[in-house]
Amino acid sequence: MTQEEQPTLHSRRSLTLRFDIPISRTREFWDALGEGRFVTTRCSACGNVSFPPQADCPRCMSDRFEWVDLGREAKLVTYTYVQVTPASFVNDDPYIVAIGEFENGVKVLAWLLGVSLEKAKVGMKLTVEARRSNEGNPYYVFVPSPPS
Amino acid sequence: MNRVAIVGAGHSKFGRRKDVNVAELAFESIKQAVTDAGIDRKEIKNVVVGSAGGWYEESLPAVIVNEYAGLRSVGTMRVEAACASGSAAVKAAHDSVATGESDLALAVGVEKMTEVDTMTSVELIGRAGSYMWEFENYGMTFPAYYALYAVSHMNRFKTTEEDMARVAVKAHHYGSLNPNAQFQKEITVEKVLASQVVAWPLKLYDACPLTDGSAAVVLANEEVARRLTDTPVWIKGIGYSSDSANLSKRDDYLGLTASVEAGRRAYQIAKVTPRQVDVATCHDCFTIAEIMAYEDLGFCEKGDGAKLVREGQTEVGGRIPVNLDGGLKAKGHPIGATGVSMMVEITKQLRGEAGSNRQAPIKNGIGLVHNVGGTGHYAYVTILSRGEQ
Repeated sequence: MTQEEQPTLHSRRSLTLRFDIPISRTREFWDALGEGRFVTTRCSACGNVSFPPQADCPRCMSDRFEWVDLGREAKLVTYTYVQVTPASFVNDDPYIVAIGEFENGVKVLAWLLGVSLEKAKVGMKLTVEARRSNEGNPYYVFVPSPPS
Repeated sequence: MNRVAIVGAGHSKFGRRKDVNVAELAFESIKQAVTDAGIDRKEIKNVVVGSAGGWYEESLPAVIVNEYAGLRSVGTMRVEAACASGSAAVKAAHDSVATGESDLALAVGVEKMTEVDTMTSVELIGRAGSYMWEFENYGMTFPAYYALYAVSHMNRFKTTEEDMARVAVKAHHYGSLNPNAQFQKEITVEKVLASQVVAWPLKLYDACPLTDGSAAVVLANEEVARRLTDTPVWIKGIGYSSDSANLSKRDDYLGLTASVEAGRRAYQIAKVTPRQVDVATCHDCFTIAEIMAYEDLGFCEKGDGAKLVREGQTEVGGRIPVNLDGGLKAKGHPIGATGVSMMVEITKQLRGEAGSNRQAPIKNGIGLVHNVGGTGHYAYVTILSRGEQ
């Protein structure tokens, strides 16, 4: 008998997991994104800039912080083209995921839209843009910067 | 601190194991390890189980496994360090013996990844990073994380898709010589290059499979080890480290900083240099990962990893044979079992029991286990030795 022919008990119980993720301490990030601005946290005590934004400073542990604008321009550091997508992305076409670096050194991971895999190149200029999901949640993507 | 030795080793057949549940699968290795050690199970007071879980029905694998194996009233826990959970289990068991808390301890690694459908497994591994910032909106997958490193490595060091394919060909060659390996067939560079892209530039044959499997080792202090066996394999040093959850926080994508740091610590504790290592298992969840591991562990200079595999230096007869069991790529990668499986492999290599076609020449009596969790999120390097050094 092959492994695939072995008898198994297909369990009667199924489990769907959907999380309510708290965003209260850094909700300005999502609010700003909804207005088309891309911001993150800077510690008011030591000046450390964090991305993803976080309310407590990982360098000095202070909980005092301010919001700083990251601007819109980044440079492509590395990327991949995800052809085999996870179960919950079954309705999405394959996508490019990129890491872009902003002028102040902050790096961000996001989809890179509007460019084919063949045209994507390490070092190319990217612009971050705000988007909204079908469910109404704000998120952000990179697109190639227009030629200057 | 007591010296600690591996005195018993057990290993299940890896693959799609529809014939056994998680406890039965773990028991295959436990029985072998206990028999190999020649001990009475009742002497074991501490059992550490490495398992990431989520893809099989049980939530408390440690007690499920122990009950089935008749290990009652033992001190126990399940540990998680992603794909390095097995090494973490060995470290926890090691520490209980080293401190004198236990004379004998058992480390078990077990995973059953094929009880859910393949795309759900892909999803669960893809969530092994920073869920909120990498998965929720961007659907990262395990190959995609390593592909970010592969693109950077190719761009900086001119590593090619053919170089990566050579790692897979080597893995399948040795897998074909290991009866416990999931894949038993040789492949060619052409076949790797023609396989389906999963996350460019990584293709199906650059990637380890989803695997069910288990492995176990019995650890003993020096007095017990000498009573039990003439061939104890000593744990000379364990180095471990970690890195940021978000890949965007990494300095670069050319190597795994956690591996470098874990290796540095392990070499220092064991008083061993990379040149003295006779045989190693490196964490090759993807072909690029093995190339980076050569560099991160000091088997070659940074950027020369591809050259090492091109020259055959990591095969039997080369400078430093790596993954003579087929590696994660061909032997299979049952997440929590992998680290323990690597310990079993290096124990067999150092005892000279690996089998004629895949036995490394042992000159210095030193073996190395390199086990990474996630995408360099965790890293463990364990140095093992035969003899008195």
